[in-house]
Amino acid sequence: MIFSTLEHILTHISFSIVSIVITIHLITFLVDEIVKLYDSSEKGIIVTFFCITGLLVTRWISSGHFPLSDLYESLIFLSWSFSLIHIIPYFKKNVLILSKITGPSAIFTQGFATSGILTEIHQSGILVPVLQSEWLIMHVSTMILGYAALLCGSLLSVALLVITFRKNRKLFYKSNGFLNESFFLGENVLENTSFFSAKNYYRSQLIQQLDYWSYRVISLGFTFLTIGILSGAVWANEAWGSYWNWDPKETWAFITWIVFAIYLHTRTHRNLRGANSAIVASIGFLIIWICYFGVNLLGIGLHSYGSFPSTFN
Amino acid sequence: METLKISSRISHVQNKILPLNIKPYPLIHNSRILGFYSNKGRTFSYTVTCKLNTVKGKKPSKGKTVLGSDGAAPPVVEVEERSVGRKVEEPPKSSGVGFGIFKKLPRKVLGVLSNLPLAIAEMFAVAALMALGTFIDQGEAPDYYFQKFPEDHPPLGFFTWRWVLTLGFDHMFSSPVFLGTLAFLGASLMACTYTTQIPLVKVARRWSFLQSAETIRKLEYVDTLPRASVKDLGVILMGDGYEVFLKGPTLFAFKGLAGRFAPIGVHLSLLLVMSGGTLSAAGSFRGAVTVPQGLNFIVGDVLAPSGFLSTPSDAFSTEVHVNRFSMDYYDSGEVLQFHTDLSLFDLDGKEVMRKTISVNDPLRYGGITIYQTDWSISALQVLKDDEGPFNLAMAPLQLNGGDKKLFGTFLPVGDDNSLNVKGVSMLARDLQSVILYDKEGKFAGVRRPNSKLPIEINGTKIVIEDAIGSSGLDLKTDPGVPVVYAGFGSLMLTTCISYLSHTQLWALQDGTSVVIGGKTNRAKGEFPDTINRLLDHVPELVESSSPKEPDTHSGV
Repeated sequence: MIFSTLEHILTHISFSIVSIVITIHLITFLVDEIVKLYDSSEKGIIVTFFCITGLLVTRWISSGHFPLSDLYESLIFLSWSFSLIHIIPYFKKNVLILSKITGPSAIFTQGFATSGILTEIHQSGILVPVLQSEWLIMHVSTMILGYAALLCGSLLSVALLVITFRKNRKLFYKSNGFLNESFFLGENVLENTSFFSAKNYYRSQLIQQLDYWSYRVISLGFTFLTIGILSGAVWANEAWGSYWNWDPKETWAFITWIVFAIYLHTRTHRNLRGANSAIVASIGFLIIWICYFGVNLLGIGLHSYGSFPSTFN
Repeated sequence: METLKISSRISHVQNKILPLNIKPYPLIHNSRILGFYSNKGRTFSYTVTCKLNTVKGKKPSKGKTVLGSDGAAPPVVEVEERSVGRKVEEPPKSSGVGFGIFKKLPRKVLGVLSNLPLAIAEMFAVAALMALGTFIDQGEAPDYYFQKFPEDHPPLGFFTWRWVLTLGFDHMFSSPVFLGTLAFLGASLMACTYTTQIPLVKVARRWSFLQSAETIRKLEYVDTLPRASVKDLGVILMGDGYEVFLKGPTLFAFKGLAGRFAPIGVHLSLLLVMSGGTLSAAGSFRGAVTVPQGLNFIVGDVLAPSGFLSTPSDAFSTEVHVNRFSMDYYDSGEVLQFHTDLSLFDLDGKEVMRKTISVNDPLRYGGITIYQTDWSISALQVLKDDEGPFNLAMAPLQLNGGDKKLFGTFLPVGDDNSLNVKGVSMLARDLQSVILYDKEGKFAGVRRPNSKLPIEINGTKIVIEDAIGSSGLDLKTDPGVPVVYAGFGSLMLTTCISYLSHTQLWALQDGTSVVIGGKTNRAKGEFPDTINRLLDHVPELVESSSPKEPDTHSGV
């Protein structure tokens, strides 16, 4: 009994803190930059991290198995991974971009998990026989960590695309306008465009940063995804005798892996660099959601215990 | 000519050009000074007094290498205006064992296959086909596809069942279209590894020194230390884990060479996995059987080959006895685990193995693996009016969805020969308890099989003696598994290693300042900061003979 109340408390604390952090980020973004608030938002994410860790540990103790047996628990683990990814660069003290992405992602995941749709399966359930294996820990945790890192990285790429295409559109309009004016008035076009160069400099710095961090985070996520898929295959071989069954979830995980391998390869080729890799990463964002949620909605195949409960259908 | 003490720092340099007929290639390597250096027409040269070894016109011998992994040092290349790391077009002469066959193929085919956009397009095609395979239900009878993709109003306007069946989309993952695309991708992978990756390794391992400051300034990251010496830089870099090579005023350092090799390892592991998968598909045996407790079967009877390479082994004549099948339950009544106690007997009747298997804990013998995958209830043993025991076979009943099982059986009571036979119905979800219903179908009671408590239904005394379960076993023999596991392991390892960055630094002593340039292939964003922090430690030289404390440089 005490464990479930502890769980409830921790869940609500982490939920509220993350909403406060999101609000702070919105304020700094829309209104003004208040440094002290910003520091407190960083601390807030750290507190959230510890809260969710406590939540997972409590569930582990109370249910007796590693807290990764159904959809609700995997969502909690996902938001834990997001807060972990947020914290690691914080210790290196150089990446502020990631916090804008990981914070909202963590809140949405946590919010969805604790929302009314899934209230029935908040109770820690039992493990079916096939899930009682040490491989559960390694396979599912690396998969979820990989999903979290790949989601962050692809969101950074989406941000890059948004900024790139807004910049191009604006430049296009402005340069057209000035061209006409200079033609009629003989003004120095260069003088006017130099005003843009300062803004453009910061924009291209930002784009370069986004591109670089997206690449690093996605390669980390790719490593985790590889380990997750392969450990799942070895587990399947130990449990059922075949390491690849073309199960929908397995197939979609493989598709995700291929798409991000394409992303990594487009970055090496001279002609395909630039925004192309960001487009691939954005496609990858959609594919991860299909792999993680979409397949579970079907509720068939070997991974059916990750689906919504049958009473929902 | 002034002789200088080299052991700590260069404090004073002198312009002097040595006679041109001395052309040795000594290396100042990791603080052991082996010779002296002459440079034609450059800014300075110096001579050293300690450990002079005039090596006349000889390339550096094997003893002075750094890379301990192979015996020979890569030849030192004098580069004037070369951009390092450019891909070499021609493949290496000495190729590995498996690649000899490629010499016979025309070069053009190789060139086409190793084109990266083509490989990316192939990857997209494989991904699209797999996605299609998850949307179209696999392995159904043709009637199913006639209904789902009718010709009069096909989905997407054109996708009728003819498309599905001729292209083999009903068995997508073994269809020629899919396997052909996979094979194409495998060929591209092999071609790319051979033509691009392996030469890249040779290039990356080459020690190249950049001779002019302009070349260095063309690199991605450039910095200048105004009053420093290249040797101090070398010492600092060595302390940070770089491999440093000094040749006169030029310096070359690298770190993390494994990060260059790792992508090759990834590709090779993928090829290993693909070949192991092909071996599995062509040469394995599979089978599944449900055996009631107490019965036995012969391994070879249940296994069916999967491809043309499947050959049975001697172990196929083993007889498997299911001694006992049991289940464990949670307190809430759900199934916790199910176990089967198996004995294996060879042709002579000798017991060769005995093991209790459960889910995730299979039995391995002679290349055959027996997995516990399922369970069912085979029969109920009942006593009717103290007669018996009768074995009533139980049949599985259909439930509306879910993973739960239900089994039922029927014990006729009264007149057996009449048309409407009435009797007692018994239902069981698992081996724990049996629910009994009377002749009218009304609920009569629940009994646990081992309690031996009788129940009185419509005047008949029934005792449930035992519930006999049957074990669902999957058998498999797969020669490709070791290959695939090796591929998996190396893939995991090489993917992790390829996350490391390969960093290369070049430096040149330009008068009193040192020009440094570098590049890295992965950690590009943090590279300037990392190098700046390193460069902060390089001591600043002043004109007096004893240099001051290490000072932070004012970088440009």
